[in-house]
Amino acid sequence: MKKILAVVLAAAMGTSLLAGCSGGGSTGTGGAAAQQTQAAGGSSGGEAQGGTEAPAADASMYEVTEPITIQWWHALEDQYSQTVEEVVKGFNESQDLITVEPVYIGSYSQLNEALVAAHAAGTGLPAITVTNTPYVAEYGAGGLTEVLDPYIQASGYDVEDFGAGMLQAGQYDNKQVCLPFLISTQVVYYNKDMADELGVTVPEKWADMDEFLEKVSIVNNGTTERYGSIVPGWDQWYFETVFLNDGVKLVNDDMTSTDLDSQAAVDLVYKYKEWCDKGWIYWANGTDASSIMRQNFIDGKAFSVFHTSSLYNTYVDRCDFEVGMAWLPGGETTKNQEIGGSMLLIPSKNDQATKNAGWQFLMYLCGKDVNMKWAKETGYMPTRNSVLKTEEGVKFLEEKPAFQCIFDNLDLIKPRISHPGWNQMVTIWMNYLAEIMIEDVDIPSKIEDMVEEINEVLEDA
Amino acid sequence: MSKTNSQLERQVAAKRKKKIVLCVQYTLAIIVTLIVVFPLYWMISSSVKSQEEILLLTPTLWPHEIHLENYTNVFNRVNFGKYYYNTIVMTAGILGSQIITGVFAAYGFSKGKFKGQNACFIFVLGALMIPLQVTFIPIYIMCANWGMTDSFLGLILPECVSPYYIFMLRQTFMAIDDSYIDAAKVDGLGRIGIITKILTPMCKSTLFTTTLVTFTNGWNSYFWPKIIAKNEHRRVLTVGLAQLKNTFAGQATMNNHEIMAGAVMAILPVVIMFFVFQKYMLTGYSKAAMK
Amino acid sequence: MEKNSFLKPRTMSAVKDFVCVLPALIFLAVFTYYPICKLIQISFTDWNLVSDTWNYVGFKNWVWLFNGSGTKHLLNSLRVTVLYSIGELTITLVGGMIFALIFNRLNKTFSIMRAIVFMPKYVAMSSAAVIFLWILNTDTGILNYFLKILGLPAVDWLGNRNTALISVLMLTGWRAIGYGMMIYLSAMIGISKDYYEAASLDGATAAQSFFKITLPMLSPTTLFLFVTTFISSMKVFQSVDILTSGGPYRSTEVFVYTIYKYAMEDFRMDRASVIAIAFFVMLLVVTASTFKISNSSVHYDS
Repeated sequence: MKKILAVVLAAAMGTSLLAGCSGGGSTGTGGAAAQQTQAAGGSSGGEAQGGTEAPAADASMYEVTEPITIQWWHALEDQYSQTVEEVVKGFNESQDLITVEPVYIGSYSQLNEALVAAHAAGTGLPAITVTNTPYVAEYGAGGLTEVLDPYIQASGYDVEDFGAGMLQAGQYDNKQVCLPFLISTQVVYYNKDMADELGVTVPEKWADMDEFLEKVSIVNNGTTERYGSIVPGWDQWYFETVFLNDGVKLVNDDMTSTDLDSQAAVDLVYKYKEWCDKGWIYWANGTDASSIMRQNFIDGKAFSVFHTSSLYNTYVDRCDFEVGMAWLPGGETTKNQEIGGSMLLIPSKNDQATKNAGWQFLMYLCGKDVNMKWAKETGYMPTRNSVLKTEEGVKFLEEKPAFQCIFDNLDLIKPRISHPGWNQMVTIWMNYLAEIMIEDVDIPSKIEDMVEEINEVLEDA
Repeated sequence: MSKTNSQLERQVAAKRKKKIVLCVQYTLAIIVTLIVVFPLYWMISSSVKSQEEILLLTPTLWPHEIHLENYTNVFNRVNFGKYYYNTIVMTAGILGSQIITGVFAAYGFSKGKFKGQNACFIFVLGALMIPLQVTFIPIYIMCANWGMTDSFLGLILPECVSPYYIFMLRQTFMAIDDSYIDAAKVDGLGRIGIITKILTPMCKSTLFTTTLVTFTNGWNSYFWPKIIAKNEHRRVLTVGLAQLKNTFAGQATMNNHEIMAGAVMAILPVVIMFFVFQKYMLTGYSKAAMK
Repeated sequence: MEKNSFLKPRTMSAVKDFVCVLPALIFLAVFTYYPICKLIQISFTDWNLVSDTWNYVGFKNWVWLFNGSGTKHLLNSLRVTVLYSIGELTITLVGGMIFALIFNRLNKTFSIMRAIVFMPKYVAMSSAAVIFLWILNTDTGILNYFLKILGLPAVDWLGNRNTALISVLMLTGWRAIGYGMMIYLSAMIGISKDYYEAASLDGATAAQSFFKITLPMLSPTTLFLFVTTFISSMKVFQSVDILTSGGPYRSTEVFVYTIYKYAMEDFRMDRASVIAIAFFVMLLVVTASTFKISNSSVHYDS
């Protein structure tokens, strides 16, 4: 038995070596299937392309006809498990053909690793998965996602009801590759009791931050007793809009370089550094950073934190003071924010039956009822115009008045920067910023190194 | 008289000195032992605390109340049962294949005779120099192409053969006199018979200790399982445990009591084995040292 | 005819013997040697796991590593790995020796204590790492609490460049020191008592006999520990992965972690492969030089 296995392995090794040596090739599924796909000229999953390029609106192509069990990968942690269970149960009971198994993979980045790995292998893919907003471009470029337009047409799904920015955030190359699922944006949480006591509000302009931070921070002989604010240094999403509103583009129009060494960007870094040195803000970095940040806020050792609106309910539950939520201070001219949270996508290497089942579940998950359930039970936002701009929205705000600041600024929530090298770039950016904020380093030379490294990544992506 | 007196004094002094040395040695040993055992104690003690207690700024050495529900919580909310199952199957698979390939190869290299034997053995020894940490990229791609991600086959296959195991067994087999083999051959035993009826029983203890080392290595392995099995369904204990802090991350601020409960459950089997087979485990390592 | 039937069983026997080792050889060929060749091939491509196709790009990745923005990270990984190795070697060799001297007494109490000190070796690294994550926690960790009792300021163990590697070493040390002790102890028992008796008759002090007898007699053991610990410490991954994820800002990014990060997080198989090859060459050099040292400078008694 073993001998047979060994021979098979040896043979397989031989063939893959040959395939490898023939110069260029497929990184995907080995064996004949992949070769054929390539021979057919499809660079990103031949079947998928065939499906999408066929004259659309043949609805029968996208119907689910046989019972099927599909996997749904998600990154919703333990606190959402109840909601996940109820939502999935609701779907499984609503029809008899499709059975959905929800699978928790890990954080967004772990989910990304698992998804790309499964895509490369061509096996073990989920029928549908969530993904964090910044991955959309990378997946679109790599052909990992199924183009959803034909499905939308065939099933007549009303996508126009989604907020325009949210819909756009799921597009790559003018094709809809993802649909918005659980959407959040950056906000400042602040201790309202303290704010009332001190008579301060979170400033509207970044220029007023100095004054604000000085007022709310308590620093005694160089040790901070209360931070004015905490910046999550582990995820650039929480400070990238500050740069954008300050006129920094992050990725230049040529798509191959960054302007993080521009005067505006450098000044901002110095500003942050100054506040760090004064003990007014805390740059949270490292393995436990997120929980340290939250604990400090809950314990009243920080006046405010920059975080995601999706954690609103968690903050309210855990704090014994009133939690206020404010829009981030804006720049001179703009006060835009970005879409965060998760989108849903269907991996392109699945077979058609699985994709169809995935699409059914996707429609359900993105549907208004499910969306409102999430919005009520967690801090995620309603995604539908028919909620956001109608009576329903008013009712929602009555239940969650803190979301007023988000509803006021809905049109300012923009799609993320989309570049295939974005994730590599921001890792570099975060590493350097953390080093600059926490250690005593020569800032100009560090920025120079950083920009050199980022440019190289952007060019190469 | 005076001579014997001074001799006596010297003896008493020497005895006193010995006593002091003993005292110092005892104190040092006890202190060191306490320090070394403290993390384990802290793990167990934290694992039964309540969340409030774990967040106290003045930590309590002894838990105020015992909260065993932390264990059931972890077991229910995280797929701990599944992790156990995956780890057991993976370890068993690695162990089984390493023993079988190892015993046969060791026989071939020690008692067998064929052309190129030395070259083949050097081939095996050379593999000791090439760790998985170097070769994991192509192996991962191969396994992915064969559809082995998130499967037991993928977890086990790259660890099927251990050059170390072959080497250790070969050394032991070499020490056995050829006359036993010849006698067995005369009795009409084939190779499998010789291996199972003569060699293996004669090297029971080495086989056992080496296998114990292999077992703990398999049970505790992390690098490869993390790479090949990203899906919850095939996650092993070590990886699952490291993930716990993510799983609970959003929920509250600190879940270290539950994470510690998970840690206790993860290490229990190996620690129990350690106490049961303590003697063998020690010799397992010192044998490796003596080679 | 007769000659043939005489030869045949012998050839058959050789074939059968060869078949015994064949499975092992094939597995090693497929899972150890072939990947090395494949690694070299990948290093000349632009293989990114996200995209479906790849091309040969010549020496681009090599240039990136040795004369580009990768050089900095290569040197950083090298520095961190070497620092870590030195740390682990010191703990295992020096710490293990000191522990061995402390616990070198044959009675029941000591044997129990020895077992306890040795036990962490069997605690899986991932479990040990989450325990230390909790102990080292800045705000509620017990270690900072002990520091506070002593009147020292709290330390952000894992968030600071200067202490992150020390934290990792604490974890490794906790697991390794008992192992070093056991290896030394089992070797010490083997040293004949005659040496010490002769020395004490000559009026040697305890320190003298330690340096003149114990240490030299233990040199093969020391060498064994040195070689195995050195090589395994170069391959450190788990503790770094769980405790610091290479951070803060790459200050604990050891070699294997760098390779892992490029391959499994950025999916840059091409770059990961060049670093892996560089790492492999370094391992070979280290191994070869340690064996060279072992041949020249060790005192073999038996």
